[in-house]
Amino acid sequence: MDSTDRIERRARVRYEATRVRRALIGFAPVLLVVAIAGLVAKRPSATVAFGIAMFSVGVVLLWYGRDLKRAVLPGVAAGLVPLVLVLCANHVRHVCMGDNCMTVCIPACTVGGIVAGLAVASVGVRHRSGPSFWFAVSAVALLTGAMGCASVGYAGIAGLALGFGAGMVPGLVRKFLADRPA
Amino acid sequence: MNGAVAWQTPGSVASPGSAEMDTNQDTTLDALVARLADGDRSAFTLVFKILWSPTLRLCMSMLKHEADAADAAQQAMEKIFARASDYDRARPAMPWALAIAAWECRTIARKRHRRREASKDTAADPSFDGAEDELVQRDLTRAALEALGQLSESDRETLVATFWDEAASVSGATLRKRRERALDRLRGAFRRLYGLD
Repeated sequence: MDSTDRIERRARVRYEATRVRRALIGFAPVLLVVAIAGLVAKRPSATVAFGIAMFSVGVVLLWYGRDLKRAVLPGVAAGLVPLVLVLCANHVRHVCMGDNCMTVCIPACTVGGIVAGLAVASVGVRHRSGPSFWFAVSAVALLTGAMGCASVGYAGIAGLALGFGAGMVPGLVRKFLADRPA
Repeated sequence: MNGAVAWQTPGSVASPGSAEMDTNQDTTLDALVARLADGDRSAFTLVFKILWSPTLRLCMSMLKHEADAADAAQQAMEKIFARASDYDRARPAMPWALAIAAWECRTIARKRHRRREASKDTAADPSFDGAEDELVQRDLTRAALEALGQLSESDRETLVATFWDEAASVSGATLRKRRERALDRLRGAFRRLYGLD
């Protein structure tokens, strides 16, 4: 008869393997989003690279479970805002107002980032979650948004990050005030 | 919560408060398995320790063979933990785990039976397989009855009438449809109760 420790180890391996499989299957539909973004984007390689990174992070979070698991869906949903905005903006290129014309890609990244940041912050405040949740949901949202902004270049990603940070500020302030002892 | 569990050992004598203690332990186990389902690995060892003895005892009582029981218990524990992430918090954890273990024992008993038939070694102890089959059969019957108990009166009536080949109040396509639906619901109830088809 195997020792109990060995049986426990084998049970643990099965437990983890099943969790990995479930995470992969559960997050697989996101690959469809990555594929569509890759087809629509101007620089598909960068989009797909960020998509793979986002998928990997999502799978790890789902595999780990607990609070982090709950960060995946809000993160993807929030990140879809800048992604869709930028992919649409990519095809508009610029907007003219009178004599002045401006490209809309970088503003789309920033505005999308702000909306995503606001959404993420509102979810974080409502769930009364810890820093790990905030970090996880932000990572997923930023990576999802970056799939679109990557086709604009570094400036697009910087715009997304700045917008996202700005969008998070009100939520972080509310959380700070709520957590502060009376 | 850690360390709060002292599962009853196989030889321990039931005290007047043991029923209440068992209920508390079941509740603790439910909470621990729910934590494990959520990904809380700190509950793993404790759940393993709580489940190992009852699982091994169940396998011993079903298979009556130490080595087979140990194999079955080991495989059952692997399956229990593989399915831990699917654990339904609405159900008590101990019967859920033991149902998986019972299924594993049944599988091993079947394999053993086939192996013995293949090697034509059954003559050595002809009464043993019969008793074992009877135990397995009794276990399955109990499980099926419990699942049947979850169905509506009309579903039960339809299935019992089908089983005994009795004439029902309806016939033909209606009866066939009703029987199909009742069987689907029975399968669903069995799956809900034991996580198995």
